Amino acid sequence: MLRLWPLARNCKATKALASLARCSSTGAPAKVEVFVDDKPVQVEPGTTILQACAEAGVEIPRFCYHERLSIAGNCRMCLVEVEKSPKPIASCAMPVMKGMKIKTDSEMTRKAREGVMEFLLMNHPLDCPICDQGGECDLQDQSMAFGSDRSRFTDMEHGGKRAVEDKNIGPLIKTIMTRCIHCTRCIRFASEVAGVDDLGTTGRGGDMQVGTYVEKMFKSELSGNIIDLCPVGALTAKPSAFTARPWETRRIDSVDVMDALGSNIVVNTRTNEVLRILPRTNDAVNEEWISDATRFAYDGLKRQRLTAPFVRNAAGQLEQTDWETALVKVAQKLVQVPGEKVAGVAGGLVDAEALVALKDYLNKLGSEALCTEEIFPMDGAGTDLRSNYLLNTGIQGVERADLILLVGTNPRFEAPLFNARIRKSWINNELTVAVVGTRVDLTYDYDHLGDSTKILADIAAGKHPFAQTLGKAKNPMVVVGSAALQRKDGAAIHRAVATMAQNARVQSGCGDDWKVLNVLHRVASQVAALDLGYKAGVEYIRNNPPSVLYMLGADEGALTRDQLPKDCFVIYQGHHGDRGAAMADVILPGAAYTEKDATYVNTEGRAQYTKTAVTPPMLAREDWKIIRALSEMTGNALPYDRIQDVRDRLYDVSPNLVQYGAAEDANYFKQAQELAAGISGKLEEKPLTPSLLNLKDFYMTNSIGRASQTMAKCVKAVQEMP
Amino acid sequence: MATVCRLLRNKCNFLSKNVMRAMSNETRVIDPHEEKIVESHTERDTIIVDRNEVLASITGVPEEHIKTRRVRIYMPARNSMQSGSFGLNRWRMDFDTRERWENPLMGWQSSGDPLSNMHLEFKNREDAVDFCERNGWECYVDEPIKTTIKPKSYGANFSWNKKTRVSTK
Amino acid sequence: MAASKAVQGLKHAKPILSVDRNDARRRVLNLYKAWYRQIPVICNEYHINKRPKDLNRYLRQQFDKNRNVKDLRVIDILVIKSLQDLHETKNWWKMANHVLYPLQESVNPKPTGFLSKFLEGHDP
Repeated sequence: MLRLWPLARNCKATKALASLARCSSTGAPAKVEVFVDDKPVQVEPGTTILQACAEAGVEIPRFCYHERLSIAGNCRMCLVEVEKSPKPIASCAMPVMKGMKIKTDSEMTRKAREGVMEFLLMNHPLDCPICDQGGECDLQDQSMAFGSDRSRFTDMEHGGKRAVEDKNIGPLIKTIMTRCIHCTRCIRFASEVAGVDDLGTTGRGGDMQVGTYVEKMFKSELSGNIIDLCPVGALTAKPSAFTARPWETRRIDSVDVMDALGSNIVVNTRTNEVLRILPRTNDAVNEEWISDATRFAYDGLKRQRLTAPFVRNAAGQLEQTDWETALVKVAQKLVQVPGEKVAGVAGGLVDAEALVALKDYLNKLGSEALCTEEIFPMDGAGTDLRSNYLLNTGIQGVERADLILLVGTNPRFEAPLFNARIRKSWINNELTVAVVGTRVDLTYDYDHLGDSTKILADIAAGKHPFAQTLGKAKNPMVVVGSAALQRKDGAAIHRAVATMAQNARVQSGCGDDWKVLNVLHRVASQVAALDLGYKAGVEYIRNNPPSVLYMLGADEGALTRDQLPKDCFVIYQGHHGDRGAAMADVILPGAAYTEKDATYVNTEGRAQYTKTAVTPPMLAREDWKIIRALSEMTGNALPYDRIQDVRDRLYDVSPNLVQYGAAEDANYFKQAQELAAGISGKLEEKPLTPSLLNLKDFYMTNSIGRASQTMAKCVKAVQEMP
Repeated sequence: MATVCRLLRNKCNFLSKNVMRAMSNETRVIDPHEEKIVESHTERDTIIVDRNEVLASITGVPEEHIKTRRVRIYMPARNSMQSGSFGLNRWRMDFDTRERWENPLMGWQSSGDPLSNMHLEFKNREDAVDFCERNGWECYVDEPIKTTIKPKSYGANFSWNKKTRVSTK
Repeated sequence: MAASKAVQGLKHAKPILSVDRNDARRRVLNLYKAWYRQIPVICNEYHINKRPKDLNRYLRQQFDKNRNVKDLRVIDILVIKSLQDLHETKNWWKMANHVLYPLQESVNPKPTGFLSKFLEGHDP
């Protein structure tokens, strides 16, 4: 299962020749005309027959072929007849030729499909009634559509069908290997996308088995995707095994909040309960994959939840009450203290609606102390210019880049799908990757420049050899992790990175539409909070001790009880009983991301919305509504009653927050650069170390993950299994 | 929609004529000219009305499920568990999710929302928007996310100077 | 057709009953009168313990609810539906509770303000 690329790695002459050859042909390559069932289609040369058929609107049945994996050509389900060809052709692997006449519904094609299906079913168990894939199984569907109406399988010797031992590949994926039809999708996914060459085949013919050879865990942050890829029920989700049939569930399109990428997801629910989470294709964000935290942390939504308001009584115990009591209690306190003594902290899972509601409310009370838990350097242009804190190139931009420098970040665990993009580009587009920071396993090769901050300064000053490489690149990208910017010398690091990015931008002549500077955030709410004008980091609150602290989902422990004045009244609003709730005087139960219509802005500045899939549990309410209700209690009601009104308000503050699906450009690098010149901070000696180094750190990064049993099992398995 | 209208019209004509007759026979409320008018206008006669008629008042949908509901109009994405793409080229409308709960006795799913199972499909977005407007529902349209097909080749598995090369499978 | 294209947002349609506004108005008024005259009879026959005056107010409300309906065909359908209702009431195809149900007197009113809705429950 090795990927052999280094054969001719430095073969510059061939590359030059190839580029010469490319130059000689002018313009776009001429399209090739083929006929699919006598219907003419124009396709690019090099397209496979299967893709040409897809363009013509004819779907060819397939098992092993997948749009986002390499072509294997081993299931033979996609056989079609091509005129003048004596045998049927595997359409997934065959490139089109001019004038090809493809027959997707001819006698020969149908017979070929029937034959393949018969062979597949000969060794496939008939356990559809107890199979979790039942109802959304490609084999099931395609045998209905293309299979024969009867079987010739007779078990004369009562030898039974082929049986294969199940493999234990971790707490997330359940394997029933007897069902495997050897499409090798999982193997290709593991080696191509996940970059973990753990899966492979052993044996030949009827004895072929897919597995890890020796029992070991499939240790990847993207492992859950092989469940989706599996066209049969060989790989199914362990946490949601035997819970529901796919036709019983309701599917609600939504957006993930486990990292700052905002992967598009489909939430499957039944009886007001999230049963599973699946990816939703969006080429601009997550392609077709989601990370394991996104997919499996949903059971954290049912545990440790705050289901009713709590008020701390005279004895210092939190006591369950109803909304009226809790809100009155908070309102009384808020009315007593002067407005500027009220402060707000927003956590990492908060939506833009709640953020704007809290900001409007606290501003109404007369306070400007609104901070986010995540730190971002506020010196220079700070968060005033969007280009300073966005992943400006965009996630899709990685596919156009030819050089990427990662500074103090481990994208594999901070944003697994961003890492998958880098890997995709590294494989297909010869992307060069360099890293400044601790050496970590990123699943692809990179030039490790070192982990000292001095290197950053050197590159920025043009003294480091890498500065030349950066300048020569056509479409360079510099990605700095938000963790690196949270150090004491964050501002200086940001300045160094911005300088080198700006230099590279000028030197490479990549034009105005290509941006070099990128910030990779770790939490879902940060960009929206900064867009709305929150102060990044709680420094302001530490310097101006408040009398009332409003914690909006702040669970990462940025502010602890002993950093606040003794008599400080702490209000916690959020969905999980985590660190924030433990130190609160009043707890207001909010809704998690699957339970509200909410806006999240991802790290590239793309606004997306979640939709209510299930109702908040018991007394929990949508977050912006809680703040709105509270504002009415204190007599300065916020002017919005419906979610549409809140979104109008969001539009007033920053129109990009409600332009769903689109990533608004930011392009003030030069101005930011000029403002950054005033930053005086010095780089520290400390090495640049990302916060998430190993797979075990990846699973529990927020309150939902910490409450999830599945995630706990993953952490345990990663440490214990080979 | 046109068919529905026509059906509705025929039915109503039928009904109304009967009702009118019944009423006019038994009460003196109905105008004696009524019959004449009904008879007099022919199939070809037309009146000028708003292009989008608002049918909310006659659909029978309770008012609380017209004024408070929001409809999302979108093209469904492919189920990532399967490779089939049938049914992805149409527009769907979904209502916002309302509270649902489990029946304590049988474990059935219960809901107070009569519209939660109404999933209609349309050929294009205009039809869907028109339908919502006619029925008085506030709606918003999600732009479909297009995926592009990139040519790829089996040969890449064996390319000698690219990282796409694989040794085995 | 050319005319309707010139005037944006209008179209030709086959009428249901009324061919112009006056026609529709006459129908509505007739319907109103019919109900109005029927109300004392309904009170009497169904043994409804209410003054006809109160029911008249309710009747007025129901008509007012649809006063913004402009489409002649929609008006016609509303009239037809109501006529059917009247017919059923008159013929004793209903019981007293059917007649009284639309008044919603036995139904607890839902909260209307933001805060009261918030304290009440999840749905808007």
